Amino acid sequence: MLFVTQFEELWFDALQSLMDLRKSGFNHVVFLHVIERDKVAMHRGKGYLKDEETKLREIANIRFIDWAESLFEQGMEVGAYIVVGNPLPKIISTAEEEDVDLIVTGHHKKGKVEELYAGSETVDILRRTSTPVLVYKYMLPSGKINERPFEKPILAMDWSPASERAVKYLINFRDIIKEVVVINVASEKDIKGASAMDIQATRKKNRQRLDEVCDIFRKEGIEAYSHLYIGDTCVEIEKAAQEREATMIVAGATGKSGLKEIFMGNVAKKLAKYSAFPTLLVPANIKPEIN
Amino acid sequence: MSKKVLTVDDDPDIIAFVKTVLEENSYSPLIARNGEVGLDLAREEKPDLVILDVLMPKQSGIRMYRELKADESLKDTPVIILSGIAKRTFLRSQEALTEFGDQPVPEPDLYIEKPVEPDELAEAIKNLIK
Repeated sequence: MLFVTQFEELWFDALQSLMDLRKSGFNHVVFLHVIERDKVAMHRGKGYLKDEETKLREIANIRFIDWAESLFEQGMEVGAYIVVGNPLPKIISTAEEEDVDLIVTGHHKKGKVEELYAGSETVDILRRTSTPVLVYKYMLPSGKINERPFEKPILAMDWSPASERAVKYLINFRDIIKEVVVINVASEKDIKGASAMDIQATRKKNRQRLDEVCDIFRKEGIEAYSHLYIGDTCVEIEKAAQEREATMIVAGATGKSGLKEIFMGNVAKKLAKYSAFPTLLVPANIKPEIN
Repeated sequence: MSKKVLTVDDDPDIIAFVKTVLEENSYSPLIARNGEVGLDLAREEKPDLVILDVLMPKQSGIRMYRELKADESLKDTPVIILSGIAKRTFLRSQEALTEFGDQPVPEPDLYIEKPVEPDELAEAIKNLIK
């Protein structure tokens, strides 16, 4: 698991809440802190700020040692990278070098640079890697601390290859998932002009497909329930997560070209940026099994 | 022939420091930047001593130490842990891994928390390489 951090508030608590993942085979955490080039780059009359870089590296190193000690004592394997550069390529290269099965990033609402990890940038990561990305939010909308984010995920299905992969990926977490809520959102435009009979036929077909997905989970010992929604995709997914008291939203995502993919990219982008829930986005070209 | 000392650390400043200490005391330095490469180098070169950091990319010193101690040809090679990670953490981590089913491992020959003075390091190396 690659844990990308800018040392946000409560971020170590967030990391601790992901320690349940050990039961699903995630026993190696790699920390990545990227010192943005602007902070140390050539400045007029000052040149490259080597002393500033050293100071920032040491601050990050001290924090990582503290975090690593806590994880090592829990029997975890821990590694750390402190690098200078642009976050996106550094995240991609570190994920490749460490062959990770999950990238965890934070979510920031303020600051230009910090926005990097949310929204379109998350989609950019997914476009360039076959690794799922978890945009993590530590506090649930209810104000409670999200201690077990994988306990009750809500899985948004759109029948794309990416969402089919998300089903397989979630099964890896069978030991920590209590229940999966599987949903499909039909957009209003999909049923515009259709007869009542056609709408009911569509509803029945989607319901059957959702039940088939639920059966896949049940065969793996995971309880699953299906629900249909209609309206704006992101709004309805968010609403469903609140109604069902989910601990996380899971959706397929892809950055490939094509109208469908562009649409999905937008859904992933909006969920990553605006959802109040942790959002796990699974690319279509994901590795078949976790290491 | 001079004795070979393998240093495994991802910090270029520490590598430069240890390399200087080793060369000034007529040892042959071998360098690796993470536990994975370090282990391969140890198996290939059979060093007389290993100086090992703990928090590193790819494979930590905790894991590499276990691999060294599980390898028949390397298990008797003395190891100095040189790290910012506390000794207590290193030992608790090894205990935790043993509880999860790994084989128990002995304590390292010497544990030094960074930073270390050149004379202290040279003396420690001298004492462990017979």
